[in-house]
Amino acid sequence: MKHTSSLGNLSRRDWLRLCSAGFVGFSMSGWIEQMALGAAKNPQRKRACILLWMNGGPSQMDTFDCKPGHPNGGPIKEVQTSVPGIKISEHLPKIAKHMDRMAIVRSMKTKEADHSRATYLMRTGRPPGGPIQYPVLGSLVAKELEQAEAELPGFVSIAPYRFLSPGAFGPGFLGPKYAPLIVGENAANGGPQNNNYDQALKVQDLDLPGEVSTLRASARVKLLDEMEDDFLAEHTDAAALSHRTAYQRAVTMMRSEASRAFNLDGEPKQLRDAYGRNLFGQGCLLARRLVERGVPFVEVALSNIPGLGGLGWDTHQNNYENVKKLCAVLDPAWGTLMDDLKTRGLLDTTLIVWMGEFGRTPRINGAQGRDHWANSWSTVLAGGGIKGGQVVGKTSKDGVDIEDRPVSVPDLLATAGMALGIDVHKQNPSNVGRPIRIVEPTAKPIKEVLA
Amino acid sequence: MTRFWRRALSALLVVFAAGGTLGAAEKSPDRPITPQQIADTIDQHFASSWEKAGIKPTRADDAEFLRRVSLDLAGRIPTVSEARAFLDDQSPDKRLKLITQLLQSPRYTTHWVNVWRSLLLPEASTNLQARFLAPGFESWLRLHLAKNTPYDQMVKELLTIPVGNGAAQRAFGGRDANPTAFYLAKEIKPENLAASTSRLFLGVRLECAQCHDHPFAQWKKEQFWTYAAFFSGLQGRPQGDFAVPGTEKENQREITIPGTDKVVKARYLDGSEPKWQDKVNTRTTLANWLTAPNNPYFARATVNRLWAHLFGVGLIDPVDEMFGAENINRHPELLEVLAQQFIASKFDLKVLLQGIVASKVYQTSSANHGKHAEDPFLFARMPLRGLTAEQLFDSVAQATGYRPGSRQQPQFFGQGGPRGEFLNRFGNATGEKATDVQTSILQALMLMNGEVVTQATSSQNSELLLAVMDNPFMDTSERLETLYLATLSRKPKAKELVRLTKYVEKGGSTEAKVNSSEERQKRYNQALADVFWALLNSGEFFLNH
Repeated sequence: MKHTSSLGNLSRRDWLRLCSAGFVGFSMSGWIEQMALGAAKNPQRKRACILLWMNGGPSQMDTFDCKPGHPNGGPIKEVQTSVPGIKISEHLPKIAKHMDRMAIVRSMKTKEADHSRATYLMRTGRPPGGPIQYPVLGSLVAKELEQAEAELPGFVSIAPYRFLSPGAFGPGFLGPKYAPLIVGENAANGGPQNNNYDQALKVQDLDLPGEVSTLRASARVKLLDEMEDDFLAEHTDAAALSHRTAYQRAVTMMRSEASRAFNLDGEPKQLRDAYGRNLFGQGCLLARRLVERGVPFVEVALSNIPGLGGLGWDTHQNNYENVKKLCAVLDPAWGTLMDDLKTRGLLDTTLIVWMGEFGRTPRINGAQGRDHWANSWSTVLAGGGIKGGQVVGKTSKDGVDIEDRPVSVPDLLATAGMALGIDVHKQNPSNVGRPIRIVEPTAKPIKEVLA
Repeated sequence: MTRFWRRALSALLVVFAAGGTLGAAEKSPDRPITPQQIADTIDQHFASSWEKAGIKPTRADDAEFLRRVSLDLAGRIPTVSEARAFLDDQSPDKRLKLITQLLQSPRYTTHWVNVWRSLLLPEASTNLQARFLAPGFESWLRLHLAKNTPYDQMVKELLTIPVGNGAAQRAFGGRDANPTAFYLAKEIKPENLAASTSRLFLGVRLECAQCHDHPFAQWKKEQFWTYAAFFSGLQGRPQGDFAVPGTEKENQREITIPGTDKVVKARYLDGSEPKWQDKVNTRTTLANWLTAPNNPYFARATVNRLWAHLFGVGLIDPVDEMFGAENINRHPELLEVLAQQFIASKFDLKVLLQGIVASKVYQTSSANHGKHAEDPFLFARMPLRGLTAEQLFDSVAQATGYRPGSRQQPQFFGQGGPRGEFLNRFGNATGEKATDVQTSILQALMLMNGEVVTQATSSQNSELLLAVMDNPFMDTSERLETLYLATLSRKPKAKELVRLTKYVEKGGSTEAKVNSSEERQKRYNQALADVFWALLNSGEFFLNH
């Protein structure tokens, strides 16, 4: 099993040289700058996508489509963004500064309003049900943009909460090769503690078991290699090749310095503080580190924060209070991510998508909450491939209806795909024999937001 | 008269012709079909296919056959002693005896509950409601598979089970053994039930016709909705994340095509009109037609699906598009005869399975030598197939002596614990073909460094390793042989034995000098554990071959 890869512009030899020179792990900064610069300038660099997934369905009325003055708007105030005329929630001041690189879609109109089904719809572009196991966006993008020699997988999912809709987090008919590498999984019973985020964000089973030394592990892999050679000599089936490939990639990752991306220790303290010392904040920092190392698709889920239940954004009660708390985690993390990517010259090649499975009812319910709502809600596209500083679509004064340019799920996903430079009409073979396009052919991409 | 009907008719003619040559056995109710007749039918057919293609397939040796048939019928590999006993057995009919034993073992039921659940209820992996309903569904399958209920009766029960008020409550939590989950997972929608029942039981993929007439497909939109009309009396309303059934209008026989004013009446897929009878409601009328011995689709679709399960591809492929214009259909006569034999056996699943695995075709080697063998539709070489998550975990547990702390039933829900973690990591229920199974990086990492394999290969904790290491009557090669039998169900080849004996006796990878005999013993044991680790991580262990 060989190492044949490079990290962006930085060859593996450079890497080892830098490691031995003591840069890595102690004073990362000098080395990081070189790598970031290398990554940004590399003409071969493909685009990457970071999906900020808001589990539970965030309230558009209290984030990107406020209605101050209308009873539905509630007490929330707006704040001026870096783009004259565009205002968003007062709870998102850091994000507001980056409005010139963002396009808000205020006219999402979808058809599913329960968590399980809507999650599947938003993440695959297709309603659930039927025999076809659709791949999620991350798997589709990874397949298109992954580099063959990459040491890291093409799709990393950070802190997902899969319980309500497991099928909406899988590679579907693209198969396990494009399955997400999952870290920091949120389980039904709470998941990783927010104060233990460093451990949670590491790759499971990447480290050798305690009793096995590196030397012994190499000997084991060599034994395995000999067995695989013998077996493959007589069996050339795809399943056997896939087995060997997965092991080679896993071993490469175990030995690879690239997997140090998952170790956040070397990042400057101030930067870590700026992202926010919580699972989502540090997850966003990890996303940047992965994108920097050529991973084409990273998603970071904001599912819950201490003190709120399993689905933080599912604000059926105490909407205003809870959204404020969630924004206090979202705003520094996303704002710092924009800054950080920009500083490193990576923002032009990194698309950021912000969305949940649906929005929330414009009208406030009896418990000061907002319920599920798919009729008129907001998503955001930012960074690479996006013409920022604009708002797409418009909702009525009470927020109930869309007055201009309704956007469907395929429309949104096609737009994201095009911003990434992907041919969204490309077909993949599926588990039912019939080829399936990346995005439904009915999609009408939002051309005006494409740079 | 469509092209489809011309094809169907010519196919039926073949059946009658075949019936004439095969004699009266199939037609006589007194003399039931034997598995051997099924095996002979298969082998005679392929003997001539292979002769025409000029190939002589290699027969799987005893070890390869033992492992394959154990995985396919019992869902796990054999134990060391089972493997030894079978390999040492000199009797000529030992393969047939093994098949009979496996089909009679309780493991047959356990394994085939998993197989049928993932076929009939794939939603359990994606739909929360189906997850909670699956235990009742699994109990229902267990009940029938344990007593080998004729398949037509099982399907009839599935199609006619009352789905009215309270059905969801009854089905919840697995208190009752009933197949209601099937309806709830399909959201109690006529169109979903039409699409899945036609796919599963008739081998016909109708979904595309739901919305439009496809220019190349036989099935027209109106035909889809006339079939869906059989389910039109079912009432379901969404409630939160769930669909709740309401009172069924069980004699309703028509449906409005959505988006139109057009109302269509229930008709069978072959276009014929049902003969409605008093006191026989709509779904029962459909079930009677669908499972009738003279239904042109049902038996063929079932035989084809089981064939595909065991061989990776169907006799007609894809299995749910048996009448599609672009399918591969190289053995129509064989499928017809097998379908007639299945009908004559009174839809006996065990007889069919037994016949197929007793055939020479099932017992070809998976090793790739010889020309032409790569044409999968010649069935001259058994392709590699991925294991299901359950097969894999149960085989790891079998090989290592691993015992889970608590037994959870139904096991599908084992969220926690090593088994649950395993099923989460390895079971994605994508419905992909077993021959297309891919391995993920996280799967590899889990098998290399995860808890189960680490415990199992620890020289302090592993039940099997301790037994092997502490046995004073074994030498190194006998110890290695035991590890091979435990994992790969075969004895090591000579060159493997040479290579690995050397590795173990020099104490593994180390170059450092060893002075104490205690240290030497420790190294020896570690090296043995290394071999065990490599075996458990090998493709030969991970795949069915």
